[in-house]
Amino acid sequence: MKLTVNGEPHEHLGDGSIDGLLGELGANKAHTALMVNGDVIPSAKWKSATLKENDDIEMLVFVGGG
Amino acid sequence: MIKDILKIGDQELGSRLFLGTGKFSSTEAMIEAVKASGTELVTVALRRFNREQAEDDLYGPLAGLENVRLMPNTSGAMNAKEAIRAALLGRELSKSPFVKLEIHPNPHHLLPDPIETYEAAIELVKQDFLVLPYIPADPVLAKRLEDVGCAAVMPLGAAIGTGKGLSTAEMIKIIIRDSNVPVVVDAGLRSPSEAACALEMGCDAVLVNSAIAAAENPSAMGAAFKIGVEAGRAAYNAGLMSTSEVALASSPLTSFLSPND
Repeated sequence: MKLTVNGEPHEHLGDGSIDGLLGELGANKAHTALMVNGDVIPSAKWKSATLKENDDIEMLVFVGGG
Repeated sequence: MIKDILKIGDQELGSRLFLGTGKFSSTEAMIEAVKASGTELVTVALRRFNREQAEDDLYGPLAGLENVRLMPNTSGAMNAKEAIRAALLGRELSKSPFVKLEIHPNPHHLLPDPIETYEAAIELVKQDFLVLPYIPADPVLAKRLEDVGCAAVMPLGAAIGTGKGLSTAEMIKIIIRDSNVPVVVDAGLRSPSEAACALEMGCDAVLVNSAIAAAENPSAMGAAFKIGVEAGRAAYNAGLMSTSEVALASSPLTSFLSPND
Protein backbone atom coordinates (compact mmCIF):
# COMPACT_ATOMS: atom_id res chain seq x y z
CA MET A 1 0.00 0.00 0.00
CA LYS A 2 1.39 3.39 -1.01
CA LEU A 3 1.43 5.93 1.81
CA THR A 4 3.08 9.26 2.47
CA VAL A 5 4.86 9.28 5.82
CA ASN A 6 6.32 12.56 7.05
CA GLY A 7 6.29 13.91 3.55
CA GLU A 8 8.09 10.94 2.00
CA PRO A 9 6.61 8.09 -0.07
CA HIS A 10 6.41 4.82 1.84
CA GLU A 11 5.36 1.36 0.71
CA HIS A 12 3.48 -0.27 3.56
CA LEU A 13 3.69 -4.06 3.54
CA GLY A 14 1.73 -4.82 6.72
CA ASP A 15 -1.89 -5.22 7.68
CA GLY A 16 -2.87 -1.58 7.26
CA SER A 17 -3.09 -0.90 10.99
CA ILE A 18 -1.25 2.05 12.50
CA ASP A 19 0.39 -0.31 14.97
CA GLY A 20 1.70 -2.28 12.01
CA LEU A 21 3.04 0.83 10.30
CA LEU A 22 4.83 2.05 13.43
CA GLY A 23 6.44 -1.34 13.91
CA GLU A 24 7.54 -1.35 10.30
CA LEU A 25 9.19 2.07 10.71
CA GLY A 26 10.86 1.21 14.00
CA ALA A 27 9.00 3.86 15.99
CA ASN A 28 8.41 3.57 19.73
CA LYS A 29 4.63 3.60 20.01
CA ALA A 30 4.59 5.14 23.47
CA HIS A 31 6.72 8.05 22.23
CA THR A 32 4.81 8.81 19.04
CA ALA A 33 1.85 11.04 18.20
CA LEU A 34 0.22 10.63 14.86
CA MET A 35 -2.06 12.26 12.31
CA VAL A 36 -3.72 10.69 9.29
CA ASN A 37 -4.81 13.14 6.60
CA GLY A 38 -4.66 15.96 9.12
CA ASP A 39 -6.70 14.23 11.83
CA VAL A 40 -5.07 13.32 15.12
CA ILE A 41 -5.58 9.61 15.81
CA PRO A 42 -5.40 8.72 19.53
CA SER A 43 -3.21 5.73 20.32
CA ALA A 44 -6.24 3.83 21.65
CA LYS A 45 -7.44 3.57 18.06
CA TRP A 46 -4.17 2.46 16.50
CA LYS A 47 -4.99 -1.23 16.54
CA SER A 48 -8.32 -0.83 14.82
CA ALA A 49 -7.74 2.16 12.52
CA THR A 50 -7.23 0.99 8.97
CA LEU A 51 -5.01 2.88 6.61
CA LYS A 52 -5.99 3.39 2.99
CA GLU A 53 -4.01 3.79 -0.20
CA ASN A 54 -2.47 7.30 -0.48
CA ASP A 55 -3.09 8.22 3.16
CA ASP A 56 -0.88 11.05 4.37
CA ILE A 57 0.62 10.26 7.76
CA GLU A 58 2.54 12.53 10.09
CA MET A 59 4.42 10.87 12.95
CA LEU A 60 5.81 13.16 15.65
CA VAL A 61 7.94 12.85 18.75
CA PHE A 62 8.95 15.19 21.56
CA VAL A 63 12.23 17.04 21.13
CA GLY A 64 13.82 19.95 22.94
CA GLY A 65 11.99 23.24 22.67
CA GLY A 66 11.42 26.41 24.65
CA MET B 1 4.44 29.34 56.97
CA ILE B 2 1.94 28.81 54.15
CA LYS B 3 3.59 27.28 51.09
CA ASP B 4 3.67 29.70 48.20
CA ILE B 5 1.97 27.62 45.52
CA LEU B 6 1.38 28.84 41.99
CA LYS B 7 -2.00 27.81 40.69
CA ILE B 8 -2.63 27.65 36.94
CA GLY B 9 -6.14 26.50 36.24
CA ASP B 10 -6.56 23.48 38.50
CA GLN B 11 -2.85 22.67 38.49
CA GLU B 12 -0.58 23.56 41.41
CA LEU B 13 3.12 24.18 40.98
CA GLY B 14 5.72 24.49 43.71
CA SER B 15 8.26 26.26 41.49
CA ARG B 16 7.84 29.54 39.67
CA LEU B 17 10.58 28.71 37.21
CA PHE B 18 9.46 27.01 33.99
CA LEU B 19 12.18 25.56 31.82
CA GLY B 20 12.52 25.12 28.09
CA THR B 21 14.40 22.04 26.89
CA GLY B 22 15.80 23.37 23.59
CA LYS B 23 19.38 24.29 22.68
CA PHE B 24 21.10 22.07 25.27
CA SER B 25 24.35 20.43 24.17
CA SER B 26 23.02 17.02 25.20
CA THR B 27 19.99 15.38 26.75
CA GLU B 28 22.07 14.66 29.86
CA ALA B 29 22.96 18.35 30.23
CA MET B 30 19.28 19.25 29.89
CA ILE B 31 18.17 16.71 32.49
CA GLU B 32 20.81 17.92 34.95
CA ALA B 33 19.69 21.53 34.45
CA VAL B 34 16.05 20.59 34.95
CA LYS B 35 16.91 18.87 38.22
CA ALA B 36 19.12 21.73 39.44
CA SER B 37 16.48 24.34 38.60
CA GLY B 38 13.80 22.71 40.72
CA THR B 39 11.28 23.35 37.95
CA GLU B 40 8.04 21.42 37.90
CA LEU B 41 6.99 22.44 34.38
CA VAL B 42 9.10 22.00 31.25
CA THR B 43 8.30 22.80 27.66
CA VAL B 44 8.91 20.45 24.76
CA ALA B 45 8.46 20.76 21.01
CA LEU B 46 7.18 18.32 18.41
CA ARG B 47 9.21 17.16 15.46
CA ARG B 48 8.76 14.54 12.76
CA PHE B 49 9.92 11.08 13.78
CA ASN B 50 13.30 10.20 12.32
CA ARG B 51 14.78 6.81 13.07
CA GLU B 52 18.30 8.17 12.51
CA GLN B 53 17.83 10.80 15.24
CA ALA B 54 16.26 8.62 17.90
CA GLU B 55 18.57 10.15 20.54
CA ASP B 56 16.70 13.47 20.20
CA ASP B 57 13.47 11.87 21.45
CA LEU B 58 12.96 13.38 24.91
CA TYR B 59 9.90 11.41 25.94
CA GLY B 60 11.86 8.73 27.80
CA PRO B 61 14.36 10.98 29.61
CA LEU B 62 11.64 13.41 30.75
CA ALA B 63 9.21 10.69 31.80
CA GLY B 64 11.82 9.55 34.30
CA LEU B 65 11.74 12.85 36.20
CA GLU B 66 9.61 13.00 39.31
CA ASN B 67 7.35 15.96 39.92
CA VAL B 68 7.90 17.43 36.45
CA ARG B 69 4.94 18.07 34.16
CA LEU B 70 5.25 18.59 30.44
CA MET B 71 3.97 21.58 28.53
CA PRO B 72 4.18 20.91 24.78
CA ASN B 73 4.56 24.02 22.67
CA THR B 74 3.11 24.72 19.26
CA SER B 75 6.37 25.95 17.79
CA GLY B 76 6.49 25.63 14.03
CA ALA B 77 2.81 26.51 13.67
CA MET B 78 2.30 29.34 11.18
CA ASN B 79 -1.37 29.92 11.98
CA ALA B 80 -4.17 29.01 14.38
CA LYS B 81 -5.15 25.85 12.54
CA GLU B 82 -1.63 24.41 12.70
CA ALA B 83 -1.25 25.41 16.33
CA ILE B 84 -4.47 23.64 17.30
CA ARG B 85 -3.29 20.52 15.53
CA ALA B 86 0.11 20.68 17.26
CA ALA B 87 -1.59 21.12 20.63
CA LEU B 88 -3.78 18.06 20.08
CA LEU B 89 -0.76 16.00 19.04
CA GLY B 90 1.24 17.22 22.01
CA ARG B 91 -1.50 16.29 24.44
CA GLU B 92 -1.50 12.75 23.10
CA LEU B 93 2.03 12.40 24.42
CA SER B 94 2.19 14.73 27.39
CA LYS B 95 -0.94 13.48 29.14
CA SER B 96 -0.99 16.98 30.58
CA PRO B 97 -3.52 19.78 30.13
CA PHE B 98 -0.83 22.45 29.60
CA VAL B 99 -0.09 23.89 26.19
CA LYS B 100 2.28 26.72 25.39
CA LEU B 101 0.52 28.37 22.50
CA GLU B 102 3.10 30.02 20.28
CA ILE B 103 2.59 31.19 16.73
CA HIS B 104 5.48 33.20 15.36
CA PRO B 105 5.57 32.91 11.58
CA ASN B 106 8.46 35.29 10.94
CA PRO B 107 11.83 33.59 11.61
CA HIS B 108 13.68 36.91 11.62
CA HIS B 109 12.14 38.20 14.82
CA LEU B 110 10.01 35.28 16.10
CA LEU B 111 7.44 37.73 17.42
CA PRO B 112 4.02 36.23 18.14
CA ASP B 113 1.12 36.68 15.73
CA PRO B 114 -1.54 38.09 18.07
CA ILE B 115 -4.49 37.44 15.77
CA GLU B 116 -3.76 33.79 15.07
CA THR B 117 -2.85 33.29 18.74
CA TYR B 118 -6.17 34.72 19.85
CA GLU B 119 -8.15 32.55 17.45
CA ALA B 120 -6.27 29.39 18.44
CA ALA B 121 -6.72 30.19 22.14
CA ILE B 122 -10.50 30.30 21.80
CA GLU B 123 -10.58 26.83 20.26
CA LEU B 124 -8.03 25.27 22.62
CA VAL B 125 -9.87 26.53 25.69
CA LYS B 126 -13.02 24.86 24.32
CA GLN B 127 -11.03 21.65 24.06
CA ASP B 128 -10.14 21.81 27.77
CA PHE B 129 -6.51 22.81 27.47
CA LEU B 130 -4.82 25.01 30.02
CA VAL B 131 -3.69 27.54 27.44
CA LEU B 132 -0.57 29.59 28.15
CA PRO B 133 -0.13 31.89 25.16
CA TYR B 134 3.23 33.43 24.30
CA ILE B 135 2.36 37.01 23.40
CA PRO B 136 3.78 40.44 22.79
CA ALA B 137 3.74 42.50 25.98
CA ASP B 138 0.40 44.01 25.02
CA PRO B 139 -1.99 44.65 27.91
CA VAL B 140 -5.04 44.76 25.63
CA LEU B 141 -4.27 41.39 24.06
CA ALA B 142 -3.42 39.89 27.45
CA LYS B 143 -6.82 40.93 28.77
CA ARG B 144 -8.63 39.60 25.71
CA LEU B 145 -6.89 36.25 26.12
CA GLU B 146 -7.83 36.14 29.78
CA ASP B 147 -11.43 36.90 28.79
CA VAL B 148 -11.57 33.91 26.42
CA GLY B 149 -10.35 31.58 29.16
CA CYS B 150 -6.57 31.34 28.92
CA ALA B 151 -5.13 29.93 32.13
CA ALA B 152 -2.21 32.38 32.14
CA VAL B 153 -0.58 34.88 29.81
CA MET B 154 3.08 34.84 28.83
CA PRO B 155 4.32 38.22 27.58
CA LEU B 156 7.82 38.35 26.17
CA GLY B 157 10.57 40.22 28.01
CA ALA B 158 12.54 40.50 24.76
CA ALA B 159 12.68 38.54 21.50
CA ILE B 160 13.35 34.80 21.83
CA GLY B 161 16.99 33.93 22.41
CA THR B 162 18.23 37.52 22.49
CA GLY B 163 19.04 37.68 26.19
CA LYS B 164 18.04 41.33 26.27
CA GLY B 165 16.15 41.00 29.51
CA LEU B 166 13.02 42.81 30.61
CA SER B 167 12.93 45.33 27.79
CA THR B 168 9.13 45.38 27.97
CA ALA B 169 9.00 45.93 31.74
CA GLU B 170 6.63 48.92 31.67
CA MET B 171 4.05 47.04 29.57
CA ILE B 172 4.41 43.93 31.71
CA LYS B 173 3.64 46.01 34.80
CA ILE B 174 0.37 47.10 33.22
CA ILE B 175 -0.46 43.49 32.34
CA ILE B 176 0.23 42.42 35.93
CA ARG B 177 -1.91 45.22 37.35
CA ASP B 178 -4.91 44.31 35.21
CA SER B 179 -4.61 40.51 35.07
CA ASN B 180 -6.70 38.00 36.98
CA VAL B 181 -4.66 35.07 35.67
CA PRO B 182 -0.98 34.35 36.29
CA VAL B 183 1.52 36.39 34.28
CA VAL B 184 4.63 34.55 33.16
CA VAL B 185 7.52 36.35 31.47
CA ASP B 186 8.57 34.15 28.59
CA ALA B 187 11.61 34.84 26.43
CA GLY B 188 14.45 37.31 26.57
CA LEU B 189 15.78 36.71 30.07
CA ARG B 190 19.53 36.24 30.38
CA SER B 191 20.36 36.35 34.06
CA PRO B 192 18.93 35.27 37.41
CA SER B 193 18.80 38.91 38.49
CA GLU B 194 16.37 39.61 35.63
CA ALA B 195 14.24 36.68 36.76
CA ALA B 196 14.33 38.06 40.30
CA CYS B 197 13.32 41.46 38.93
CA ALA B 198 10.35 39.93 37.08
CA LEU B 199 9.12 38.21 40.22
CA GLU B 200 9.65 41.37 42.32
CA MET B 201 7.48 43.26 39.84
CA GLY B 202 4.71 40.78 40.54
CA CYS B 203 5.09 38.31 37.72
CA ASP B 204 3.89 34.92 38.86
CA ALA B 205 6.61 32.92 37.11
CA VAL B 206 9.23 33.05 34.37
CA LEU B 207 9.93 30.68 31.52
CA VAL B 208 13.61 30.36 30.71
CA ASN B 209 15.41 28.33 28.07
CA SER B 210 18.37 29.92 26.26
CA ALA B 211 19.80 31.58 29.39
CA ILE B 212 20.27 28.18 30.99
CA ALA B 213 20.90 26.02 27.92
CA ALA B 214 23.52 28.37 26.48
CA ALA B 215 25.29 29.05 29.77
CA GLU B 216 28.81 27.68 30.17
CA ASN B 217 27.47 25.44 32.92
CA PRO B 218 23.74 24.87 32.36
CA SER B 219 23.18 22.93 35.55
CA ALA B 220 24.83 25.62 37.69
CA MET B 221 22.84 28.30 35.85
CA GLY B 222 19.64 26.34 36.46
CA ALA B 223 20.46 26.39 40.17
CA ALA B 224 21.23 30.13 39.98
CA PHE B 225 17.88 30.87 38.32
CA LYS B 226 16.14 28.86 41.03
CA ILE B 227 17.64 31.16 43.67
CA GLY B 228 16.87 34.26 41.60
CA VAL B 229 13.22 33.31 41.20
CA GLU B 230 12.86 32.44 44.87
CA ALA B 231 14.52 35.69 45.94
CA GLY B 232 12.30 37.74 43.64
CA ARG B 233 9.14 36.07 44.86
CA ALA B 234 10.17 36.36 48.51
CA ALA B 235 10.85 40.07 47.98
CA TYR B 236 7.49 40.55 46.31
CA ASN B 237 5.76 38.83 49.23
CA ALA B 238 7.78 40.88 51.71
CA GLY B 239 6.63 44.14 50.09
CA LEU B 240 9.23 46.45 48.60
CA MET B 241 9.69 49.88 50.18
CA SER B 242 8.31 52.82 48.27
CA THR B 243 10.65 55.08 46.36
CA SER B 244 11.31 58.74 47.13
CA GLU B 245 12.52 61.70 45.11
CA VAL B 246 14.52 63.03 48.06
CA ALA B 247 17.09 61.43 50.34
CA LEU B 248 15.71 60.02 53.57
CA ALA B 249 18.39 59.31 56.17
CA SER B 250 18.56 55.91 57.73
CA SER B 251 20.88 57.02 60.52
CA PRO B 252 20.39 59.89 63.02
CA LEU B 253 21.86 63.13 61.69
CA THR B 254 22.30 64.82 65.09
CA SER B 255 25.90 66.00 65.49
CA PHE B 256 27.65 64.57 68.45
CA LEU B 257 31.20 64.55 67.19
CA SER B 258 31.36 68.34 66.85
CA PRO B 259 34.91 69.67 67.48
CA ASN B 260 33.41 72.87 69.08
CA ASP B 261 32.40 71.11 72.30
